[in-house]
Amino acid sequence: MPSLSDSQPIVSAQGAATADIVMLPPPRLWHLLRAWFSIGTQSFGGGSSTLFLIRRIIVERNGWVSDDEVTKAWAICQIPPGINLLALTTLLGWRLRGALGIIASLAGLLLPSVAITIAFTALYRNVQQLSVVQAALRGIVPATIGLGILMSWQLARPLLAASRAENWQSLVFSLVLLASGGIIVVVWNVPVILVLAAAGLCGTFGYRWLTRHKRTEQTA
Amino acid sequence: MIDPVKLFTLIFRATLFSTSGSGNIPMLYNDLRSLGYATEQQFAESLAIGQITPGPTGLWVVSLGYFMDGVRGSLLATIAVVLPPLLILVVERLYRRFGTHWAVQGFLRGLALAVAGSFAIVIVGLVRGSKFDLSSLVLVLVSIGLGATRRVPVPLIIAGAALCGVALYH
Repeated sequence: MPSLSDSQPIVSAQGAATADIVMLPPPRLWHLLRAWFSIGTQSFGGGSSTLFLIRRIIVERNGWVSDDEVTKAWAICQIPPGINLLALTTLLGWRLRGALGIIASLAGLLLPSVAITIAFTALYRNVQQLSVVQAALRGIVPATIGLGILMSWQLARPLLAASRAENWQSLVFSLVLLASGGIIVVVWNVPVILVLAAAGLCGTFGYRWLTRHKRTEQTA
Repeated sequence: MIDPVKLFTLIFRATLFSTSGSGNIPMLYNDLRSLGYATEQQFAESLAIGQITPGPTGLWVVSLGYFMDGVRGSLLATIAVVLPPLLILVVERLYRRFGTHWAVQGFLRGLALAVAGSFAIVIVGLVRGSKFDLSSLVLVLVSIGLGATRRVPVPLIIAGAALCGVALYH
């Protein structure tokens, strides 16, 4: 949707890669809204593809923040609860234009995607009894399950890699946390929130204890 | 039948105590089904719609909200998932001060692993709500493979799976 993205390319892709580009005055709220609108309508599947889109529109095309800043902001945005992309939108909106910047950015991102999601669901409800839709759904559900498993693996992989870099005990401990999180949910009777809190607390002390030798070596 | 305050509270709570757009699935799956607000099939359907439509995948909850309570439900769901990420403003400040502390690092790692594990189990559990056969298993594996390459756009994978469904079962 090129007509919606901002008009003038201010810095080139090469320019954005170097640290010394001149930062422009804060963008107008309208421009912020428009930029996030185009991110919201073009982004599918989240994660790395969305980040790529943000880089292109916020960094390269508009030069509002540096590439490095987006990377660091994205890392911190993995921590707060909920959708990471909304956290990033909030953080960049705040840095660029304060509270109004958050509202403009979130509105730009959400208005089209929420409207399309509602419209699509409403449409689906009207046709869901058709046998052709039921047949299509029997193909879509396994694909959704596959993509879900992949997403879960992508969430766990960097954490397992970090554990493996420490020692094998840490890796085993991480695998146990990963598996028990799932198994206890299958048992159901325990509220999920308690399982998550318990896993957090186990992590707090478990990793500390498992890497104690490494620290004594370092201090020695 | 559906209490809008309860609906909002449950989605808000599940989102507040999980990470990423899909971390709230286990808690919602548990709470909403036991109340009879949503069915297993509606979970599968709204997750699929979340993958197809533009914007963050985490907006699947908006679709689920519509299944449960129409436009009101989807708007309540939107507000409930938009509020928790606003905590980034607090998190960013705290992280600059305490982020490298071992207790913070350990807690976040343990939490995220449990989120990933329970999420995977619930996703696999969606199989129970659908008719599952050998072709379904092949579709699961193929979509994992295609997704892992990161070259094929997700909506394309879903569209391909829909066509396979029509070809196989219609």
